Amino acid sequence: MTAHYAERAARPLAPVHEAPFHQWAFPDGALWTQFFRQGAGYLLRFPDLADFEVSADGASVQGYPAPGVSSPTVEHLYLNQVLPLALSRQGKLVLHGSAVDIGGQGVAFLGESGRGKSTLAASFATEGTRFLTDDGLLLEWAGEQCLIIPSHPSIRLWEDSQSALMHAGTAMAPPVSFTSKARFLAGKGIPFCDESRPLHRVFFLGDGASETPTIEALRPAEALIELVKHSFLLDIEARDMLVRHFDDLTRLAALPIYFRLDYPRDYGALVAVRDAIVQQVLDLRQAHS
Amino acid sequence: MAPLQSDMNLSDKVTIPTQVMARTVGDETVILDLASGTYYGLDPVGARMWQLMSEGQPLTAVCDTLLDEYEVTREALEGDILRLTEELRAKGLVSLA
Repeated sequence: MTAHYAERAARPLAPVHEAPFHQWAFPDGALWTQFFRQGAGYLLRFPDLADFEVSADGASVQGYPAPGVSSPTVEHLYLNQVLPLALSRQGKLVLHGSAVDIGGQGVAFLGESGRGKSTLAASFATEGTRFLTDDGLLLEWAGEQCLIIPSHPSIRLWEDSQSALMHAGTAMAPPVSFTSKARFLAGKGIPFCDESRPLHRVFFLGDGASETPTIEALRPAEALIELVKHSFLLDIEARDMLVRHFDDLTRLAALPIYFRLDYPRDYGALVAVRDAIVQQVLDLRQAHS
Repeated sequence: MAPLQSDMNLSDKVTIPTQVMARTVGDETVILDLASGTYYGLDPVGARMWQLMSEGQPLTAVCDTLLDEYEVTREALEGDILRLTEELRAKGLVSLA
């Protein structure tokens, strides 16, 4: 995953006179990210935390912490929020998802924030299955095959997942100031796959209403709608790029690889969830052999 | 079946706004409004209606074509076409020509 990034000196987040052309808010309505146009490029503002200037082509990003905000906080925002958006501006396909390498095959988990993408990837990794990304799922076509490109070798987890899944002594990145999510660095306890893997399976994570792990196939049109919902897109008004993005997703949706996965959000159930996923992956491989 | 509350009739034609696009995947069609992010899925019959109405034919011509393709009464089909068109119009995915 590449964009040229530089962190600049801290500066106050000056008022912007134009209205944002887009924004993200938390479910409680609190503002998370504002998207402004700035010349030909973009200004992404995380209120009270940082500004990021992104070039028009998404190739270059500069981060400006608000006074008192730590460098790890800004780097964390860059890696998890800004970089995927910049890559989308480069024309790359980036989705909200984690992924692991099961027997050489890329298996992705897509879902909204809080649905358990990172927890599931970490659950596999702590049992020895290498992970490819914990969010910002970057996909690239190589001929007829769609590949998952590995991203940053770290996994972010909320406190409850940290204590349930992580072994004592797992290397951690410095704490950040806007979330109780900690970032665990890949290593012996959480192995990372640094090579691309063919996209073999995509599971969209449900809301946890199911009492046992359930897996249901999605029709291509259902998959396309889900893929649209889970896309990173920096400029939602750039029609040419949106058309291309929709075409990319349509091509992706035609693959017979989409399932809805739901399971109770109970750490004790994760063994059964992993087993059900692995079984699905093996079944598909047998069907193709 | 609920009565249709609409000022539309079968002589109308629809146009598709420039920010709306549709893609067919499998035997279904997904319509996306780029401006609002609204999306809408159509089953194979709905997808065929969409295809015909997006060619600029009046709805009555869409109905004539579909009567040759599906075993359905004209009355039922007319109701379905008007209902779908009205629903798409309410979502801003088509407008009257």
